Amino acid sequence: MRRLFLIILVLIAGYLHVVFLGKASEEMKKLPQGDDHAFILPSPILKVAALEYQGLASDVLFLNSMAFIGETQERKERPRVKEWEWRWWLKTLDAATDLDPYFFDPYFYANAFLPWDAHMAEETNHLLEKGSRYRNWDWMLPFFIGFNDFFFLQKNVEAVPFLMEASRRPGGEPMLASIAARLAFKENQTETAIFFLEETVRRTDEESLKKIYETRIQALRSIAILEKGVASYKKKFGKLPPTVDELVHRNIINKLPLDPYGGTYFVEQDGKVRSTTSSDLEPYISPAMKSFH
Amino acid sequence: MTSLWPIAFITFKEGIRNRAIYGITLFALLLFGATALVATMVPREVGKVSVDMALSTISFSGLLIVLFVGINLMAKDLDKRTIYTVLARSVSRPQYIVGKFLGMVLLITVTTLSLSVMAMAATFILKMTHAEFFTRFSWSMIALSVFLTTLMLILLSAVSFLFASFTSTSFITLVLTIITYIIGQSISGVKALIESPPQALGFTVSPVTMKLVQAAYYLFPNLSLFNIKLQAAHDLPVATSYVVWTVLYGVVYICLAITLAALIFRKKEFP
Amino acid sequence: MITIKGISKVFKEGITGKRIMALEGLDLDIPKGEVFGFLGPNGAGKSTTIKILMNLIFPDTGTATIAGKDVQIPEARKRVGYLPENPYFYDYLTADELLWFGGKTAGLTPSTIRERSDFLVQKVDLDNARRRPLRTYSKGMLQRAGLALALIHDPDVIILDEPMSGLDPVGRKMVGDLLVELKQQGKTVFFSSHILNDIERFSDRAGIIIKGKLRLVDSLTNILKGNKNLEDVFLREVASAEGGVAA
Repeated sequence: MRRLFLIILVLIAGYLHVVFLGKASEEMKKLPQGDDHAFILPSPILKVAALEYQGLASDVLFLNSMAFIGETQERKERPRVKEWEWRWWLKTLDAATDLDPYFFDPYFYANAFLPWDAHMAEETNHLLEKGSRYRNWDWMLPFFIGFNDFFFLQKNVEAVPFLMEASRRPGGEPMLASIAARLAFKENQTETAIFFLEETVRRTDEESLKKIYETRIQALRSIAILEKGVASYKKKFGKLPPTVDELVHRNIINKLPLDPYGGTYFVEQDGKVRSTTSSDLEPYISPAMKSFH
Repeated sequence: MTSLWPIAFITFKEGIRNRAIYGITLFALLLFGATALVATMVPREVGKVSVDMALSTISFSGLLIVLFVGINLMAKDLDKRTIYTVLARSVSRPQYIVGKFLGMVLLITVTTLSLSVMAMAATFILKMTHAEFFTRFSWSMIALSVFLTTLMLILLSAVSFLFASFTSTSFITLVLTIITYIIGQSISGVKALIESPPQALGFTVSPVTMKLVQAAYYLFPNLSLFNIKLQAAHDLPVATSYVVWTVLYGVVYICLAITLAALIFRKKEFP
Repeated sequence: MITIKGISKVFKEGITGKRIMALEGLDLDIPKGEVFGFLGPNGAGKSTTIKILMNLIFPDTGTATIAGKDVQIPEARKRVGYLPENPYFYDYLTADELLWFGGKTAGLTPSTIRERSDFLVQKVDLDNARRRPLRTYSKGMLQRAGLALALIHDPDVIILDEPMSGLDPVGRKMVGDLLVELKQQGKTVFFSSHILNDIERFSDRAGIIIKGKLRLVDSLTNILKGNKNLEDVFLREVASAEGGVAA
């Protein structure tokens, strides 16, 4: 009899334990939480605090930064990532590469997002230059720096030495040297950009990142088609087409290529084609265009 | 001198059969397993991350052994009076200290070696399945890193012997050894930081602090010298001269610590 | 064989540094082949004396020698076997490994160690437990293992600190028989006890020590001359040490 009573008591206690734990956790969620993405310790302090585990600390920081990107992809609001969050993210990758400057992945990931989504090409190149100095056997880092200079910062001249360096390093395409030469002339920029991105995609293994790059390439291909059309139109009619639809009406191109980001294309004064898209990643919108929004 | 080997051997046996060794080994195995999971989360440098984790696990497990098994070996003697068993034989106090220390050296070497074999097995499997991502990988660099880590652990153990020779409880020895480990690992970085120009720091360092840090740098063992995990993870070159000087530094410090411990221990009584 | 000359030892107790005179001017000579019983109440200084002989404690004044060698050098202990009051051993060693250690440190050859281990393990009735770790031993078994360790190298001098404490009657008989045997072999035995019966039964000579001072040293026959009772003798010494009147 006593044993039965004790068993019932234990079962009731167990049930109550689960109920109370649930209630308490719910209440805890309502408490104001600190911000995960506000602060990171300065590198010298991290280095000392990591004792002999700096490589491991670097890995942890990087995985943390990857988790952040994963989390942002789930977000519904636009823009997905706030400016100060990007800044924190860059600081994290900077810290990771201060702990281990030979670690490739932080550089690659920084380059995949920061120049595009955060418009932080300058800061990205700063990071990449650190990497290029340490990883002096790696052709991809100076390659990225060159691309960013060319594509985002319109600093074609500055891009040249980096591309030359990339072509010299093991695994670097000698073709990069001729690309460097091409940069000196401002023609066929979109094609050049496509070439750069295709090289990058070829060396990307992660599926979701690959998709992101391919979308960017798709967007640029559409623009390339339209820009060729605009050039043909100018040659034929001596002026720029008012809209891109004109190109279809006049049979310069068969149909209008789609903007994978859902925007509409229009023609700029200088003959360049741009998209109105305020997409997730806002690719290929020049600083002048941003004030439009 | 014939007594050194028997003392060393029973110290080793007592240490290796300590229950804590099983716990620490199990913990290390779990971490090696976790390496397989965590390393593959990284897109490219799977090789580097697995080496990071493997070497860090070996270091940390070794540290646990020095702190909890090693200090416990000395503590048992002093707290529980098992030292009577040894000192009642015709051995001198210094022989006791050196013999015990040699037993510790054997214990640390055997356990580190065993952990390394397990770590390398785990890494090898990962390497076979993810060969493309192990571009810069060197077994010899990893072996060198483990060798230096072992030497570092032996050095730390020698320092713990020194503390045990004059403290009254094993708890104080433990605390002092942990402090020495933390200072030893960080003092090099702190010294570099203190000595860098004020603009880089954002604040000026008082000359007193500067002198304190420099004194600490020479007094405490510079353990960060024995850490070449980064070089092992990326197969970066390490100069032979660096290894030679570091090993010599370690050996000299160990001899100093043990000699001092033996001298202090000669005055210790066991009422 | 054992000489103790003018040994004094003061212990400082606790934070206050209160001084306790554990031994005061102890003089004692034990000739070869004698079994000497050191009798005294708890805290009299018996253990302190023994630990000074074993160089576990250092005297403040005076000297002590064993077989002509100063106790502070390791050689003095070469032919000495010691059993402490509550023997502690390493948990994870076996009795066999303990005896191996004892033999090796005494410079015995591996075959000698094996021989003597077998012999002693039988003698102290630990044959079944010899390969088990010492942490599984009962107190009585530990005491017996300690005895075996003390005798592994066939010492000339055997020093025992309260050898019968905590033993059951079987154990006490075993130790007693051992003492008799050692005497027959011509060994010198120095043992301490607070059990009068043990002193009476086994000693050739006895010394009574109270509060750090040696009050009486004489052969058992002389002490018990005239049908005297050891207990009476002992209590009389205790009373006179207190400064009181004998019963």
